Amino acid sequence: MKRKIMKTPKSVDLATTNNCNLRCKYCSHFSSPGEVAGDLPTEEWLQFIEELGRCSVMNLTLEGGETFVRKDLKKIIDAIVKNGMRFSILSNGTLITEEWAEFLASTGRCSSVQVSIDGSIPVTHDSCRGEGTFHKALQGLANLRKYKLSATVRMTIHRKNVRDIEGVARLLIDELGLSGFSTNSASHMGTCKQNAEQVQLTVEERGLAMESLLLVNKKYGGRVGAMAGPLAEAKHWTKMVQAEREGAKPFSGGGYLTSCGGPMNKIAIRADGVMVPCLQLCTIELGRINKDSLADVWQNHPELWRFRERREIPLTNFEFCKDCKFIPYCRGNCPALADTFLGDPYHPSPDACLKRFLEAGGKLPDEKLLMEKEACACV
Amino acid sequence: MVETKNPVANSVMVLREEFDDWAVLFNPDTGQAFGMNPISVYIWKNLDGKHPVGEIVKDIRVNYNNVPGEVDEHVNKFIADLVERGFVGYKA
Repeated sequence: MKRKIMKTPKSVDLATTNNCNLRCKYCSHFSSPGEVAGDLPTEEWLQFIEELGRCSVMNLTLEGGETFVRKDLKKIIDAIVKNGMRFSILSNGTLITEEWAEFLASTGRCSSVQVSIDGSIPVTHDSCRGEGTFHKALQGLANLRKYKLSATVRMTIHRKNVRDIEGVARLLIDELGLSGFSTNSASHMGTCKQNAEQVQLTVEERGLAMESLLLVNKKYGGRVGAMAGPLAEAKHWTKMVQAEREGAKPFSGGGYLTSCGGPMNKIAIRADGVMVPCLQLCTIELGRINKDSLADVWQNHPELWRFRERREIPLTNFEFCKDCKFIPYCRGNCPALADTFLGDPYHPSPDACLKRFLEAGGKLPDEKLLMEKEACACV
Repeated sequence: MVETKNPVANSVMVLREEFDDWAVLFNPDTGQAFGMNPISVYIWKNLDGKHPVGEIVKDIRVNYNNVPGEVDEHVNKFIADLVERGFVGYKA
């Protein structure tokens, strides 16, 4: 039986452009299936935004590439406002001038702008993003805050900044007064695949990142967040080990490929207008904007339904998971990472596998580093 | 005081209807969203400045089963709440 879905997606991610003013060493866009030829003309986006309005979509996330390189971005944002939606932006921050911040604030519809800050000093931030980007990103952040926009920060952890996590927390929370920041790590996608040796954390560094993040998070009262990457893994894996040791009941969704809830409420559009389940998973093509109806694709496309039904696939189906004692507590992790490693999004991701991490000699942080509210194994 | 003018929905508000006749009422200016049951959706769709509250109540009695006696009180309270939140005004 088909799962119950909304009539239309609640949120849509738009890769407004293929272009970017930077060439970060771990970019998930360039050299990935999401890097496509050419950007859509303004009129195509405006036409599609009208359709999004008719579909009562609530939130759009503008990303790229770097969305601020689009010369017609103001027109696109005006259309979003006119069609009854809110928007968020993911940015490297370096092109956010005071004029841009003033404009975004004037719309009254900007939910947040996420700026990437990867270090507390230029040498760590610039190591993967390029010389001079640290100060530019901080200036962009300051411009956003001057106009009282909700400015959030994402730190992507890699080999060059893994020892600067506490410094970043000090900079962002103590010195700049942000309420917190989120973290992830350089993922095996796009350009990162080519530069894996230089940027991706080794097993030891992953353990170090986990411990540092838990320490910093505890010190700052839970103000460091993560949906994926070392902090999320530190919390989840520690609880999995604890649960297995205590023979706890399975976690909610445990034992199945349930980790990704994206296709139940959102969809994404590549820079060439092709609809995909997620901008990290651009190999599953669902149709093209202004040619195929969004509502029809959302409600009826067999590949999207197959992707939604991924949650019904038990981990016991996989040779990869054979003899794993953590199955009742594992949700199979990111399908996009499974796709990039194995060419199969309907497989558990080998990257975020606790069993593999431990077999490779990885060490989990001390359970005492979990904050009290996080320490229960009954997830 | 009972309002005698016809209520009209704020055009900024977005109604996201779902398959089960429930809906989400979304205010893009604030990001707030509210769940609406099928009767609330029916009322919302009639807040077009053409229907007096009394007429909306009458229509509910005709179109729905097991309508409670105090439905007019409920509808007035619901609309008053929407007015207070700035989602509805009255057509002059």
